[in-house]
Amino acid sequence: MHLSTEKLAKAYGFLWALRDVCLDFEPGDLTALLGPNGAGKTTLLRLLAGLTGATAGTVRFDGAEFAPGSIELRHKIGFLAPADHLYEHLTAAENLRFFASLYGRPGDTAAIEDNLTAVNLAARGDEYVANLSSGLKCRLSIAKWRLLQPEFLLLDEPYGVLDGSGVDLLEDFLRAQCAHGGIVVIASHHIARALQLCTRAVILHQGRVTFDERKQQPWPSFDRAFGEFLPRGDS
Amino acid sequence: MGQSAQPIKKRRGILGALALIAIAIGLYWGLVVAPPDAYQGEVQRIMYLHLPSILTAYLSYFLVFIGSGMYLWKREKRDDILAHSAAEIGVLFTALTIIEGSIWGRPTWGVWWTWDARLTLTAILLLIYTGYLMLRSLIEDESRAASAAAVLGIIGFLDIPLIHMSVYWWRTLHQPPSILQPNKPPWENVDPSMLIALTISFVGFLLLYFYLLSLRYRYGEMRYEIKARRLAQGS
Amino acid sequence: MTLVKQTALLLWKDLRLELRRRESLMTMFFFGTLLLFVFHFSFDLPPDRVAEMTPALLWLAFLFTGTLGLAQLFNAERENHCLDALLLSPLDRGALFLAKTGFNLVLMLLVEVVVIPLFWILFNLSSWNLLPQIFLVSLLGTVGFCSLGTLMAAITLRARARELLLPLILFPLMIPVILATIRCMENVLRVGEFGEAFAWLRLLLGFDVIFLTVGVLIFDHVIES
Repeated sequence: MHLSTEKLAKAYGFLWALRDVCLDFEPGDLTALLGPNGAGKTTLLRLLAGLTGATAGTVRFDGAEFAPGSIELRHKIGFLAPADHLYEHLTAAENLRFFASLYGRPGDTAAIEDNLTAVNLAARGDEYVANLSSGLKCRLSIAKWRLLQPEFLLLDEPYGVLDGSGVDLLEDFLRAQCAHGGIVVIASHHIARALQLCTRAVILHQGRVTFDERKQQPWPSFDRAFGEFLPRGDS
Repeated sequence: MGQSAQPIKKRRGILGALALIAIAIGLYWGLVVAPPDAYQGEVQRIMYLHLPSILTAYLSYFLVFIGSGMYLWKREKRDDILAHSAAEIGVLFTALTIIEGSIWGRPTWGVWWTWDARLTLTAILLLIYTGYLMLRSLIEDESRAASAAAVLGIIGFLDIPLIHMSVYWWRTLHQPPSILQPNKPPWENVDPSMLIALTISFVGFLLLYFYLLSLRYRYGEMRYEIKARRLAQGS
Repeated sequence: MTLVKQTALLLWKDLRLELRRRESLMTMFFFGTLLLFVFHFSFDLPPDRVAEMTPALLWLAFLFTGTLGLAQLFNAERENHCLDALLLSPLDRGALFLAKTGFNLVLMLLVEVVVIPLFWILFNLSSWNLLPQIFLVSLLGTVGFCSLGTLMAAITLRARARELLLPLILFPLMIPVILATIRCMENVLRVGEFGEAFAWLRLLLGFDVIFLTVGVLIFDHVIES
């Protein structure tokens, strides 16, 4: 599966949040989406997920135009925002079962337990989501997308709420997704971890793409690009 | 921009002038040439204003329906402007109709308001489309407001026949004992002079309607143009 | 997944949540019953007049109670941006419409099943034998209310003064249903059978079919992120 954007732009009222964004994603890409607050990272993710409509430009999946109204490709798309998209008063297991049915994936007890175990939540499967901390909710989200197996997964700042083992779980999961030919785009402020994880970095600044390269070791061009908007230098 | 606007402005001006002339002739014919009604006397003459008003209002709501449907289908701004403009002018003409009906009702029935079928229907229409205008003004995001209003524009129009049926059944099944029949269509054994007056008046109102509609439409266009320019200038 | 299955899935989810928290059902029950009491004090009716006023009072109570339900209809989706989660998924938007309509319908029917007999008791009515017909009319009217109400609730989701705007745009559109249900019930109570009120019943049915269909077809445009 191939994802691309053509001159993607989004305006809120009189302000442009994104302009002239042209990106191409290949299967196996693990892209770190970086940039300061307000750069447009969340907007871009929402456009790619088809949650918002673009003001100009298009998003294409395998050449076919994708917009909020398109339903056909949605079973291939995942969006992980740490504590979001979970029903507070359903249990962890019920949430997984619900979304599995919604996405047409196997939602039997074995599959659910398997995925809960993978994120160390098997013991809390029958607890209401409302009783889980944000870190645990994030793990549940990971379990959810592990169950749903989207070909294309977007993540919006997952590192903030996860503890050490949670981070390991997340990164193992993301690496596995890419190894199977999936595409992952992760927006984050945790530069060090994101850089370690990714195979490619894209920097957004004031709504425009200012950097887009595959990872190299060492990476002087990245240091330069990143240093431009971080007055004290990189982390 | 100014080049193409000139011929349109000229055509609109001619339209307005024609409307004025037609209404003037219609009024003259209706007030002076045509004979007074056999039963109702002079006060019947308000029909030359009243009937065209309500018919034009219905035309307007039909245009709201068309504009709304087209907008949801093609998402072209011009359909949204049409729907919004037609709703505003429609509300104007509906309010006029009610006032005219009230003015007619006072000498005829001795009351300023009565719940006969026609007046009730007109009042309901006013409520529905005033609601449409309120909906638009209370949603901040322009495109969401346009979609929401388009849905209401379609549903409102589809409801009109049902409202008609229910109100007419209600009023005819429960006819209060002493009632004058104001609902007789005017072409039942009517002086041809009156028919002519009515027709000219109707043509005049139609022209006036389209004149006002084109003015309002232009206003709507300009608002979008201002938005687009501000957006182009924005960072 | 078919439309029916998706609708069932969403409906199950809403009913499950409601069973746990019971906020909507409890508030609607209480409000409906409270209105009966208020009506009783407001309209000091002699026994022979009560039957005349019954349909109107009942339906006024249901209208306001139903509006309360509509205001809470998308509560579950408000938490944790769950509406986004649904829109993200391969969910047929028409299924969302049917599920929400069905959910409000279940809540309102539960309230009606209690409030109607309660009305008969509080207002000392004797026509208990006519309750099946009354329920039927109420059911058809409630379906109409829920379908149009869900549409209006969805388009006003992000509007300012949402709670005020919803009844403002909904009630004028509901007039056919209001007229039909009340006139129909009046006839039943007066004559003991539907008789000439069958025309009203057909109108109700037509209303329900039209707006359920329109709702399913148009809901993609209604609900956007």
